[in-house]
Amino acid sequence: MIDITNVSRVYQRGADEIHALEHVSLHVSKGRFVALMGPSGSGKSTLLNVLAGLDRPNAGEVVVGGRRLNELSEDQLAEFRAHTVGFVFQFFNLIPVLSAVENVELPLLLTKLSRAERRQRAETALRIVGLAERGDHLPRQLSGGEQQRVAIARAIVTDADLVVADEPTGDLDARNAEEILSLLQTLKRDFGKTIVIVTHDPRAEKWVDEVIHLDKGLLLETRPGGGLRDVAAS
Amino acid sequence: MKYLPFVLRNLGRNKLRSLLTASAIALAIALVCILRTMPAGLDSFLSSIASNTRVSTHNEAGMVYAMPYAYLQKVRAIPGVVAAISWQWFGGAVDLSKGVAFPNFAVDPEDFGRVYEDWNIAPQALEDFRKYRDAALVGRGTLEKNGWKVGDVVTLQSTVFPMQLSFRIVGEVPNPRATQFYFQREYLVQAFQASGTPIDSTGMIWSRIDDPDRVEPIMRQIDEMFRNGEAETASETEKSFFGNFFSSLKGIVAVIQIVAGIVTLCIVFIAANTASMSVRERVGEIAILRAIGFRRKIVFSTLLAEAAILSTLAGVAGALVSLGLTLMLRNLTSSGPQLGPLTGFIVTDTILVQALFLAFLIGIVSGWLPALGASRRSVAQTLREVF
Repeated sequence: MIDITNVSRVYQRGADEIHALEHVSLHVSKGRFVALMGPSGSGKSTLLNVLAGLDRPNAGEVVVGGRRLNELSEDQLAEFRAHTVGFVFQFFNLIPVLSAVENVELPLLLTKLSRAERRQRAETALRIVGLAERGDHLPRQLSGGEQQRVAIARAIVTDADLVVADEPTGDLDARNAEEILSLLQTLKRDFGKTIVIVTHDPRAEKWVDEVIHLDKGLLLETRPGGGLRDVAAS
Repeated sequence: MKYLPFVLRNLGRNKLRSLLTASAIALAIALVCILRTMPAGLDSFLSSIASNTRVSTHNEAGMVYAMPYAYLQKVRAIPGVVAAISWQWFGGAVDLSKGVAFPNFAVDPEDFGRVYEDWNIAPQALEDFRKYRDAALVGRGTLEKNGWKVGDVVTLQSTVFPMQLSFRIVGEVPNPRATQFYFQREYLVQAFQASGTPIDSTGMIWSRIDDPDRVEPIMRQIDEMFRNGEAETASETEKSFFGNFFSSLKGIVAVIQIVAGIVTLCIVFIAANTASMSVRERVGEIAILRAIGFRRKIVFSTLLAEAAILSTLAGVAGALVSLGLTLMLRNLTSSGPQLGPLTGFIVTDTILVQALFLAFLIGIVSGWLPALGASRRSVAQTLREVF
């Protein structure tokens, strides 16, 4: 699903050059649940942005779902993101003036689906994340955990093969964090989604198939997470 | 169209701010609409009432001073003068306590139709005006204002002469802006004779010239003819007569329009500032939209649509306000002859369309830069900065 080869990303911050990624290579197979971990400034969010088509590397090659992202224009990248990637962010990032179901429906505005079809798919996505009854609520009427579920519903509503999440449990209490990680694993297990998350949360290790450690822009190690160990054990 | 509900929801995000911005735009549009009526109103008023071949002759000392009535025959005798009539101010009021509500004059009925042939007065009305001693021709504006109709008998008490006369309305001057009330000079003369005081003067002479090219020489000839006479005269074309009357007003209108233009520009900056604030507050959300696949063009269009819709709706409100105000002004001013010309200042369909276009333009101009800036921001950079 994801092939990243020798990718480097350098930012200019004033007179300084920030080497966010240095010669990182990575392969994630379809249907895997992967966590990018590391200290702040290690480059994990940059790597997530690069593989999700939000950012362009200065060097190296990024191939996701068979598409070479380096060659895509801005509009083509937007189209790639709309159809191939679902996004979940730390602070939920729902549109406050739209109801839960309307938030989920938002990415479908970019498709040719009719209004009724869009609404039907949005409701289905909400049902998958267990919020079928909360569709009419505005984000402020939902708890943090519920808002993150809506964000996950928005990420999967287009049936994107890849779901990326940047600190999806970062703003949640322990119980809600476990539920979100469990939900992400369900998406992987039941719907075959490839999931890449950036997290500081050590609880994530037991849910994911692989943990990739980064530090100072370098990929330090890749090791199996609890998800794979469970499979191996069974 | 599928993005419209999304755009409308965003407009309602901060209702007070949207309302205040819309109010500012609406006020500017209303102001522009009202001011736009003024030049057109003055021009149309002058065009509707004035002719280049109609000449007024009055006492050089001023219009309030009289001239010998005998001047009329001398003017009529000048080659090139098609017809001429005298005007004598009567100053009649329906209700003395309310004063003179419309201009009323004693005129010579025989040539009236020829001097004012462009007024399209019905031939039967002109015939009756000549035939009946107490006949009156009344402007449609005054007829409508007072609820009068042809056949009605009305009584006017003069504020100038010690007399009261009753008139039978035999026709109208078919122009909604016309407020004048004309009656036969002979009727006035007989009233004077009955009181034992003959009248042999007139306030003004109006004549029609056969050829526009001969107007200037004939005006000079008239004034030359009465030089060193009992009353020296000053002649001018009707258009010039009314044009001079309104020239100072036109200058004021021009200044006001410049001010209105500056106000509109200020409104653009205010609306742009509001749009910038609105966009700045949503930088994170906009980055999310871009992240989930909204192209720059869509983000730009929806943000621009917000500004344009708000501004256009405000424009509709402003145009309606101006329409209501001018209609109200029309009703108010039609009651007084001094303000009579203002009845012509109407917000036309053209002005409404221009106002809506202006409002739309304000929205586009004010929303352009904020929308462009928001749509061009790097998604990754914004996500790093905001989250």
